[in-house]
Amino acid sequence: MAGLLQISFLACLVALLGVVPTAWLAGRSKRLAWLPPVILGAGLLLGVLVAAGHLGSAAPLKIDFSNFAPFAFRLEIDRLSAVFLFLICAVALPVVLYSQSYLPRHYNPVQVQWIWGLSSLFLLSMVLVVVAATAFSFLMGWELMTLLSAALIVVDGTSERRLHNLFIYLVMMHAGAAAVAAAFFAFLPVSHSLDFASLRAAGLLLTPAARTSIFLLAFLGFGMKAGIIPLHLWLPRAHPIAPTPVSALMSGLMLKTAVYALVRFSFDFLGGGPAWAGYLVLFTGAVSGVLGVLYAIGEHDLKILLAYHSIENIGIIYLGLGASLIFQANHAPGWAMVALVAALFHTLNHAIFKSLLFLGAGAISDAAHTLDIDELGGLLRRLPVTGVAFLIGCVSIVGLPLFNGFVSELLTFESFIAGSTVTALSARIILPLMAGVLALIGGLAAACFAKVFGVVFLGRARSSAAEAALEAPPGMLGGMSLLALACIVLGIFPSLVLTPLIAVAGTLIPAASLPSQVMGLQNILVTTAAAVLVLTLLAMLVKTRRRAAAPWACGLPGLTTRMQYTSAAFSKPIRWVFSAVYQPERSLSVLPNDRTYYPTSISYRSVRTTSYERLIYRPMTNAVVALATQLRRFQTGNIQVYLLYIFLTLVTLLVVLGLRK
Amino acid sequence: MTILIYILQALMIIVGAPLLGGIVGKAKARLQRRQGASIWRPFQDIGKLFRKEDMVPPLASPVFRAAPRAVFCATAAAALLIPVLRPAALLGGSGDIILFVALLALARFFLVLGAMDGGGAFGGMGGSREVLVSALAEAPFLLGLTAISILAHSTQLAGIAEWTLRQNFFDVSAVRLLAFSTLAMVAIAETGRLPVDNPSTHLELTMIHEAMVLEHSGPSLAFLEWASSIKLGLILSLLVGLILPWGMATDSSLAAMALALAAYLAKMLTLAVVLAVVESSIAKMRMYAVPDFLGIAAATGVLAVVFTVFGGR
Repeated sequence: MAGLLQISFLACLVALLGVVPTAWLAGRSKRLAWLPPVILGAGLLLGVLVAAGHLGSAAPLKIDFSNFAPFAFRLEIDRLSAVFLFLICAVALPVVLYSQSYLPRHYNPVQVQWIWGLSSLFLLSMVLVVVAATAFSFLMGWELMTLLSAALIVVDGTSERRLHNLFIYLVMMHAGAAAVAAAFFAFLPVSHSLDFASLRAAGLLLTPAARTSIFLLAFLGFGMKAGIIPLHLWLPRAHPIAPTPVSALMSGLMLKTAVYALVRFSFDFLGGGPAWAGYLVLFTGAVSGVLGVLYAIGEHDLKILLAYHSIENIGIIYLGLGASLIFQANHAPGWAMVALVAALFHTLNHAIFKSLLFLGAGAISDAAHTLDIDELGGLLRRLPVTGVAFLIGCVSIVGLPLFNGFVSELLTFESFIAGSTVTALSARIILPLMAGVLALIGGLAAACFAKVFGVVFLGRARSSAAEAALEAPPGMLGGMSLLALACIVLGIFPSLVLTPLIAVAGTLIPAASLPSQVMGLQNILVTTAAAVLVLTLLAMLVKTRRRAAAPWACGLPGLTTRMQYTSAAFSKPIRWVFSAVYQPERSLSVLPNDRTYYPTSISYRSVRTTSYERLIYRPMTNAVVALATQLRRFQTGNIQVYLLYIFLTLVTLLVVLGLRK
Repeated sequence: MTILIYILQALMIIVGAPLLGGIVGKAKARLQRRQGASIWRPFQDIGKLFRKEDMVPPLASPVFRAAPRAVFCATAAAALLIPVLRPAALLGGSGDIILFVALLALARFFLVLGAMDGGGAFGGMGGSREVLVSALAEAPFLLGLTAISILAHSTQLAGIAEWTLRQNFFDVSAVRLLAFSTLAMVAIAETGRLPVDNPSTHLELTMIHEAMVLEHSGPSLAFLEWASSIKLGLILSLLVGLILPWGMATDSSLAAMALALAAYLAKMLTLAVVLAVVESSIAKMRMYAVPDFLGIAAATGVLAVVFTVFGGR
């Protein structure tokens, strides 16, 4: 069995790698265009099978490539890795199905093959990150993930604005990668090598100061990738500009590798941590959750809005992780397990519904040629399948019952309420209060997605493009339907996923036994679903006659589609209440100046520069530029001076070495 | 036998809910020295609407007609979780306090979608206001429930009712008082009563719920009106069941059940009259004062949770 799994996993890696030459071939001959998606799909399917087959076994699956690499290059699939391998491969499959009919509609054949080749490598790099067993293989995957996603963004276009956003993305990712590498190297004083087994052993020997610095570095580095506030600046810039299926992969999957890595570091290597680490994660999660959803409400570009919702959902995941760390520090391993399961489950759920929503956004822009939701409307009549799938995605992300998002949020709520059972006073106060924060996030998310679905799919079309929209081809619909189906199945039968996740949490949190309350979850959901079904059937028994009648327009003629509430109008009350968060810069100019009551033109502009940019990033970049300007004095351009520098460096090094002897 | 009781108690809320609106209406009329309509009037209204035809805007999607039914189903499903006559319910288990809140949120989500599908200006107006009120009400709602669930060591509605039943009524606890006031304020906001929303207004500037159901007619409107009265009944029953459950039957004997029914009806009648008095004596607040109102609810909710730590009662 283990041998078979090993071979299948190797075959999966080879297939993902093999997409590149086939994409090259397919770029030369049209008849082979079907080949790359098929091979990619087969590779991912193998990955799903390996992960699913391995979830049950406790012994890790090991593959060693060290002979072919200059550094120790080992892969190892333990239970945690298997969960994330499953997540990546299983969610990428529908995305591939979607892409094979989406890409040829939007890109020329050469670009299509570039996207196939690069995105399969991108997936491979994510797989590498979650199965790596040495620091070298991990960092290699981590770096490739950034570069390949950047390359995929470039394939879509190279306008000035895109390159600027891409630059911000690359800079921030590399700052994060530097912190990650530093976190690994900080183990070196007590660990003879950087493979994960010795890091795990070294975790017990570290001094408190070293543990603190490793945790902070890892938190910072992975937080950069996860897009927690205030490290999120790149996220709403980079995700929306990638090709749609890649946006889905970036938001749905790439962010999850950061969650994986944080869990790996804090639970596996450091074995939990002090309570303050838990509070740090918890409060970051709370801030990211609330602010992420508030920023999303203010957006009217669908993809940017969805990107902000990724920040919100990472916040919810962090809330669970933080609670888990706090429980562990307070010697309540049972509830630590529940909170960790909740966080991991939400990670999977978010991967599913966020990919679904991004694919839906692609289908909308495919049909109506715009992502500005104020130009859309009434699309459900034109795109019934896309609309229903998108609705399921909306209901799931909001965390409404009978859909998957609800289950993980319910578990998070339960663990918050159970915070009252620990002994530490701070945890007993703070954790239950977080239930209120999570409820606020849920309420605001409901507002946001009621706006999105209501403005985009319901009512009447606000533009002629939306009026003439056509439904997407079967491949795209198939991809979205699969993901939508997963949302419903996991929402009613969560045990399918909960059982393996509980096993994973058991390996990370020693001596934990699950609180009995959590086990009955599926029963409640199944009975509620049955009740809702019966009630629906009863409600459908009511016979109705129907007649078309124009909507009420106060008895006056001339109701236009522009009189419907737009996204800006819909979100106005919320933006008014939370105006302290937005702080928009407004300018109103009325021309001519002397006739304000009879103007010939009025222009109004409202820009929301985020205060992070003004308060944190701008001073930081200014400082870097100032430093670089100073350093330029050393660069005279004169070769003799450079030789002098080299000579001086050499002498200094020799002196240092001599003194140390 | 017990299952029958659970089904009956849920049916009592679902079928009997319109009566509550009738009683509130009658009491308000009497307070204003009017004769008022019969307390059975809401049933007649709903029956009349069911016999009428559904007027659908020509460009509306199927959501327009599906939403009222979804709202009804989700609200009625929430009724199956509430302990009424016995400290137990047909459905539910550990964690169903959250399921209850979420089912109401599901109903509200579809209510807003149905409103947005009308294609006029009013639906969006009502929906936009509704999501503001509900987004702000969600946090105090859960904080209030969290506080009493911590006291009762149970996250199940029936478990909380059962625990409270075992407490001494005169043993007044700060947490329960705070949680009650939080939930009462949330109840006003959630059910759209004065001073948050005026259920009998049709003025563009002020209406929330009425603006959302403006385009609906016939059976669709009947479902919406019915669901809205179930929701009022549900939230009042929740207050009664969690904070003032005394009188509930501890066994299934006929005498105990009769007593429990009488106690429940008396408590609901009292709440309905209190609601009528409150609604007759205060004016609707401005839309933008609602966040302050719910902010107070959130503050008392936070206090309730914090007080669970000190003394645990």
